[in-house]
Amino acid sequence: MDKTAQIRIQLESRDPDVTIKLPENTGPILVSTGLRRIALSTLVNNLLENEKPIPFEFLINGQFLRTTIDEFLTANGISSEVTLSVEYVRALIPPSHVVSF
Amino acid sequence: DLDIDSINIGTPEEYSEQSTEPAGALWAKHEASTRTLSATLTEQLRLILAPTLATKLRGDFRTGKRLNIKRIIPYIASSYKRDKIWMRRSVPSKRSYQIMLALDDSKSMADSDEKDQNKVDLAFQTLALIAKSLSVLEAGDLCFLSFGQDANIAHPFGTPFTENAGANLFQSFSFQQDKTDIRRLVHKAIDLFRTARNNSHGATADLWQLMLIISDGVCEEHETITRLVRQAQDERIMIVFVIVDQLNSESKTQSIMDLQTAEFTADDTGEMKVTRKKYMDTFPFRWWLVVRDVSELPIVLSAALRQWFSEVVETGS
Ligand SMILES: [Mg+2]
Repeated sequence: MDKTAQIRIQLESRDPDVTIKLPENTGPILVSTGLRRIALSTLVNNLLENEKPIPFEFLINGQFLRTTIDEFLTANGISSEVTLSVEYVRALIPPSHVVSF
Repeated sequence: DLDIDSINIGTPEEYSEQSTEPAGALWAKHEASTRTLSATLTEQLRLILAPTLATKLRGDFRTGKRLNIKRIIPYIASSYKRDKIWMRRSVPSKRSYQIMLALDDSKSMADSDEKDQNKVDLAFQTLALIAKSLSVLEAGDLCFLSFGQDANIAHPFGTPFTENAGANLFQSFSFQQDKTDIRRLVHKAIDLFRTARNNSHGATADLWQLMLIISDGVCEEHETITRLVRQAQDERIMIVFVIVDQLNSESKTQSIMDLQTAEFTADDTGEMKVTRKKYMDTFPFRWWLVVRDVSELPIVLSAALRQWFSEVVETGS
């Protein structure tokens, strides 16, 4: 697939926390299939208008996105013609992570 | 727990065989469901086309409808011998029209988990409606394309559009193509119009070329397409983009007018910044219209065609 390939994604969260809930009218967004988790996390924070970004993880069909969207589509035989439902969840801080203040 | 329907990657031929409705029956169904609308559109177009077919009054005749003032002095000066002083409405000059209709055959046209056939039905109805109206009017030469990752001719220029042609037309569509390459479509259309122009008889100055694209409107490479659209315009090919934007309250489907694009760029510090824009703000086509219901089609299409034909009349001598 070429670099310009794009796909419509519909972001959603099942988290009851209203502070990470997207505005009600957030429809599908057209993004490059070359995006990875980090870029999508930037996008969600942009939509939430967060000054201090929250790291997010993404689930497509119940699987965590660990590659580019394009690689995920290829691996799972999903067409870029569909609107992809993408669920976001707060990234869990790994136990080894040292938080510095 | 794979959903078999969602991984259908069969070729169009295989898909047609699986389909319960053969193309002939499909054509008959959609032709019948749009018959009244087709009659309305035909009538509206007939009204628009009629004045473009008639020419101005021309002299010089011994009898006629209106005096040619420029001939009066010579008429008197010649002792009433040069008496061809009348003008008549002469035989209408036959302007020729080449109209291409391209219908989106990509998967996004049938994008839904549920058995929602609305967009496909709407697309087929549009196709039947326009094909029928334009062929009844004998408004010119018709060509139909199906496009997705490729652009294929479903009905070529230079072939009359018969009832059989209608059924054959539907066979070219499966709505299973995995890409929507509008750049390739416009490129191919320009090529086809060039060939059709070369093959057309008579003065090419009186030949008018129109392309109607029917699609959900989601495409990539806006900048490249913008350049191609400009090139088409330079070659006097007008492209009208009809966006099929069926809203469905039950599904999550939303209007293309609300669709956003997100672009990522790194700032000076290397931090990733995201910019969101309205998708339609960079839409590469100059003339586009949104259709939400097939019953709106005669009004919106005749408005578009009226605009086109009036431009033709103004530009024409
Ligand atoms: Mg498409």
